[in-house]
Amino acid sequence: MSFAKPHPLSREQVDQFEREVNAIRDGVMNDLGQADVDHIRRMIRICRASEVGGRALLHFGVGPLSWVAGVLALANAKILDNMEIGHNVMHGQYDWTGDPTLNSQTFEWDIACDGEQWRHSHNVTHHTYTNILGKDRDLGYSLLRMTEAQRWKPRHWFQPLANLLLALGFQYGVGSHDLEIGRYTHGAMPKEEFKARLNRFVTKTAKQWFKDYLLFPALALWSAPRVLAGNFCANLIRNLWTYVVIFCGHFTEGVAIYREEDTRNETRGDWYLRQLSGSSNLTGSRLFHIMSGHLSHQIEHHLFPDMPAHRYPEVAPKIQALCEKYGLFYNTGSLFKQYWTVMARILTYTLPPKKVSALPS
Amino acid sequence: MTVIDHNVPSTWAQTLTAPLKAALQNPWVESIVRLSAVEDSLRALHPMLSLSEVRTRVVRIAQETADTKTFVLQPNALWSAALAGQFVRVRVEIKGRQVERVYSLSSRPGARRLAITVKRQPGGLLSNHLHDHTRVGDVLALSQAAGDFVLPAQLPEKILLLSAGSGITPVMAMLRDLQARQYACDLVFFHACRTPADAIFAQALDGMALSFPALKRITHFTATAARLTPDTLHWAVPDLDQRATWMCGPSAFMEAVHGLWQDAAIAAPLHSERFATTPLLPASSPGTPVTVRCAASAQDFTTRGGDALLVQAERAGLSPKHGCRIGICRSCQCTKTSGTVENLQTGEVSSAPNELIRLCISAARSDLTLDL
Repeated sequence: MSFAKPHPLSREQVDQFEREVNAIRDGVMNDLGQADVDHIRRMIRICRASEVGGRALLHFGVGPLSWVAGVLALANAKILDNMEIGHNVMHGQYDWTGDPTLNSQTFEWDIACDGEQWRHSHNVTHHTYTNILGKDRDLGYSLLRMTEAQRWKPRHWFQPLANLLLALGFQYGVGSHDLEIGRYTHGAMPKEEFKARLNRFVTKTAKQWFKDYLLFPALALWSAPRVLAGNFCANLIRNLWTYVVIFCGHFTEGVAIYREEDTRNETRGDWYLRQLSGSSNLTGSRLFHIMSGHLSHQIEHHLFPDMPAHRYPEVAPKIQALCEKYGLFYNTGSLFKQYWTVMARILTYTLPPKKVSALPS
Repeated sequence: MTVIDHNVPSTWAQTLTAPLKAALQNPWVESIVRLSAVEDSLRALHPMLSLSEVRTRVVRIAQETADTKTFVLQPNALWSAALAGQFVRVRVEIKGRQVERVYSLSSRPGARRLAITVKRQPGGLLSNHLHDHTRVGDVLALSQAAGDFVLPAQLPEKILLLSAGSGITPVMAMLRDLQARQYACDLVFFHACRTPADAIFAQALDGMALSFPALKRITHFTATAARLTPDTLHWAVPDLDQRATWMCGPSAFMEAVHGLWQDAAIAAPLHSERFATTPLLPASSPGTPVTVRCAASAQDFTTRGGDALLVQAERAGLSPKHGCRIGICRSCQCTKTSGTVENLQTGEVSSAPNELIRLCISAARSDLTLDL
């Protein structure tokens, strides 16, 4: 496989599909109310309590057990803040509430990635051009070769190592993503613009380092090393977890990759179909879904990026039934199974193309 | 309604909280502890505690008429002060949505407690919520008082206060103010309403009449007496042209009075308060040219055709922030202060004030004001 083959649907079927997906969307969007706001506020409360508890354990706890508990609590807070709260709020999932603290365009989160740059690289670029090669910069993050359509270069020999480093420092990968370093070094971006973008990234990273690696350790006085190590590990856990979840969203076996020329003049229905075939889900418990920010419902998220994410489990069976009706592939599986196929993809495309027989799809 | 700053001195609580709030809004502090986290913690400690928001506790609810209630409110220390005739914005969360409406204060300026008097509006979101669900002990969020429909510091010799229906509320605050300021010259208060049962503040006014000799009260019941016309008013108050007048009531009523002032070429000042918060503009048919006011950049443009507002703005030479242009990313989201728009994706037509809209999928269906 190189690029997604045209789906088997006729023009009328695409339009019909669009109407049916719209109806599923309207069913939820016309039903939004107190329960949805209560959910996100509850998440925010848990997140804050977890952060306060985690930092307190790291600062005042005695012994290694309290350190581990502190790290886990702080990692939990950062994961909730980034996934279920930050990512979802910044998509505008709660803009309908009119609550200024839940406003997508002003929200800022606890990660090295600047909120405004995230809104551009993620909401604008990735969600509009999902899986279009050359347009969706999330496709391998300009670092990894994820399809045979991407030209192989000798640096791809180091792809497994690059992947590991990206996983460990995922927040910096996400944070520097909107710099578009490649475009700048190729002279396609003016120096002033690059400097402005770099400045935002550096400032946000400095704020995070000041908080986690300077201020809080300093406040802990003689416990400074304990706090510093704890904060570092909490950030690391968050990095690994977000990396795994996000990589399972678009790089699993069977996701479709598109050419730009095939996606011109898309209707809403075409766009829905591209989002569906370019995303993959993870199965799991309610807790698992929350900890993944409901990105375990990547398909539903890409169809309805501004629907409050905790509603995805409710619409997922309807989307799945719709896929069955139209004979479309609904890509879902356990975290282990899906991540396995991601690793297989990364390793497959580490090798130069002549040695690759075919993409396992 | 233009909001003017009357330079109210800040209260001790404002002096105390302002620097704290400013510090919490510093981006370096904000990345450690968010203002919203502090606000939520304060609220958990006590529902009236806040660094930035005037909150009031409902201490009494009085039924004025069958469809009108007065809510007596005890504000927290962030409340500054109001002048007679000013309004406040009341904000309540209804089914997860923040709903904000403007109400004139009916209480005497300087009184320890505030009062808003709310008439139930058919289909009104906030008025019905206040009537049906608000109880004594509830907490309401308020803005500071605003509005330039006020009495001057130096009171004129002859005053006419003119109101109709629930337009009496700011006028009641003025009457209470005039009494407290021991106004002893010539004051006529003319009020029109349907029947005696619809007369808001009837009891309070009866009481006031006994202790306020300068007040001459005329009440016109439109159900029994003749329909209120400019002539009726002129007949009841023959020296209209010598009086400084403050007026509040339904739009049709106020337009008629304005007409009278114009026709009779009355030079005496006529101050009026448009009682409906934002006049609801009827939706024009798609593609009708309308004027879009961009408040932040102080630029206006006229739409051409039925294209989305983003395209219209760009055609007019503006360059609003935008991203996907197909309603996904919300980069072009802005607040529509007033007017009616159509969501081109869902076909939904909405006239709600202070609503977030996406420029790339919204088309103007009336004159608009945006915070662009």
